[in-house]
Amino acid sequence: MKIFFMIGWRNLWRNKRRSLVVITAISLGIFSMLLAMGIMNGMNNQMVENTIKTSLGHVAIHYDGFHNDMKLKYSFKPQPDIMKAVKDNQYMKHYTIRVKFEAMIRSSEASQGVMIMGIDPENEKKVSSIYQYTLKKEGSSFLESPDSDEILISTTMADKLDLLVGDRLVVMFQDTSKELVGNAFTVKGLFETPISSFDKYVVYTGINTLQKMTGLENRISEISILTNKKEQVDKAAAQMRSELSGNNLEILTWKDMAPSLVRSVALFDTMMYVFFAIIFITVIFSIANTLIMAIMERFHEIGVMKSIGTRPSWIGSMVMFEAVNLGLVGLGAGMAAAILVISLLGATGIDFGFYAESMRMWGTGTVIYPSLKTMDFVVSALIVFANTIIAAVYPAMKAARIKPLDALHYV
Amino acid sequence: MAIIQTSKLYKDYATNGVTVKALRGIDLTIDRGEFSALAGPSGSGKTTLLNIIGGLDHPTNGQVTVNDILLNEQSAKELARIRLNRIGFIFQAYNLIPVLTAIENVEYILLLQGVDKEERYQRSSEILREVGLGDELHRRPQELSGGQQQRVAVARAIVSQPDIVLADEPTANLDQKTGAMLLDMMHDLNKKKGITFLFSTHDQMVMERAERLLHLVDGQVADDEWKKK
Repeated sequence: MKIFFMIGWRNLWRNKRRSLVVITAISLGIFSMLLAMGIMNGMNNQMVENTIKTSLGHVAIHYDGFHNDMKLKYSFKPQPDIMKAVKDNQYMKHYTIRVKFEAMIRSSEASQGVMIMGIDPENEKKVSSIYQYTLKKEGSSFLESPDSDEILISTTMADKLDLLVGDRLVVMFQDTSKELVGNAFTVKGLFETPISSFDKYVVYTGINTLQKMTGLENRISEISILTNKKEQVDKAAAQMRSELSGNNLEILTWKDMAPSLVRSVALFDTMMYVFFAIIFITVIFSIANTLIMAIMERFHEIGVMKSIGTRPSWIGSMVMFEAVNLGLVGLGAGMAAAILVISLLGATGIDFGFYAESMRMWGTGTVIYPSLKTMDFVVSALIVFANTIIAAVYPAMKAARIKPLDALHYV
Repeated sequence: MAIIQTSKLYKDYATNGVTVKALRGIDLTIDRGEFSALAGPSGSGKTTLLNIIGGLDHPTNGQVTVNDILLNEQSAKELARIRLNRIGFIFQAYNLIPVLTAIENVEYILLLQGVDKEERYQRSSEILREVGLGDELHRRPQELSGGQQQRVAVARAIVSQPDIVLADEPTANLDQKTGAMLLDMMHDLNKKKGITFLFSTHDQMVMERAERLLHLVDGQVADDEWKKK
């Protein structure tokens, strides 16, 4: 078989221009699809990363039922055994505690339903990126302590409520005894995250302040944990689940907390692979056409090969190898170009600032850093390989069926 | 000992609704070690007979055996196996595989036969040296002259030690001097190695050198002339 692979390879270069046209078509197809996949991966990664960094963390510990109904009643005391399980977890990088519940805020102009988060600013800085997202200009700054009675709101909310840094607003909520409580806060700072839905809904204040106002005392809503690597979340969660079983706690990974995000990432991946396969169906015809032309040109030669004892199946294999060689060269060239360009763009990023509002809706950020997964290479290689084989079936059968005598008389 | 036997061999071709009788009941025996030629004018049936003996074409009627193997009714795959192992072909237009070098063209047959790499190279290079191409092993056909290409074709035809070599007008594309040299070389191989050759030709040089000359006229053997035995 090696000889037929070699003949297939050498035949490929007999008509360099024609082969190069097909190879260019294949490699351009692969390059464009990998680039599109890379951009989509970048968007997916950033969407996930931004969601993790902005609010979810990698793993969260709640009182059982809190995730589906974020009420004060689902709070828990961070008992020493719970905190020990968190601190001793081998995958844990940082953690922070939070109080969070739904509330209403009012300015003199308007009101808005929100999720108010009571945070410990110093620990929050290590777990989420809200500090980085807080504007440090025109008087805006981050919260300073867990006792802070000031509030951080997004620029979007500030516009809607017509508020500036230093303005006062009222937060209204039901406390633990179901009493409606209203408290005034001063706007300490403004933030802007890459996720517009988050900005429309979340505000921050000091955790101790919220615990006092709500009557939670030292109870909390959430321990948010960042692991050393994103891939360790399942192990970290499993370890904590086994250590904290029987505490009526729910220990959720970011995937448990944002299943729709996981599903959309998987859907985007599948769609890209399907698009890849559809686009490459056109390449089948290009390869098949080239092979048929090559066979017609070598009709006599194939007849000679058959007349000296080459079996029809071997002739078919030779044509198959020629197609595979075409595909492999195109695949190699396309992948090399894609790796080069995506590495470059992965470092510089692609600025989609002109679609800023749409990008914020997706939570991707405006600068996308394309990247490729091993699976992208595997899938693209399989698609190209399968397509070249499909493309070669008819020409290979045609070549295998050439009658030596007809071919010997063909000039 | 008979290598080729044909019995009442008929071949009809239908062309544009007209049936052409190319062979009309040929009975022929070619023994091992013969250096024979089929001669006759165009359309006399030389090439048709050679193609049927070579398993490239089927007779309309009659039988043909190569080394006691009946070629009629063999499958395409089986005929390919017989051509590979028992018959060597030399064509008028050399018909080497253009993407393979001289030695690769010769090795090709042995490779299809499953001969191992070392033996393949050794046997092919030895044969090429015998036909005077020891310095041209790694040249591709387009880098060789017509005479050299036909020598490679001869080497390819004999490297697997077939029962018979069928040569269809092997000198037709060569000048007289090169053709004569090639024929002498094949005659030499016939004498030294006992290889059986059957030519189809209307080249006088081939007819002169052939030890047995079968004259075909209108698809029949008109004359079977033994010059030496």
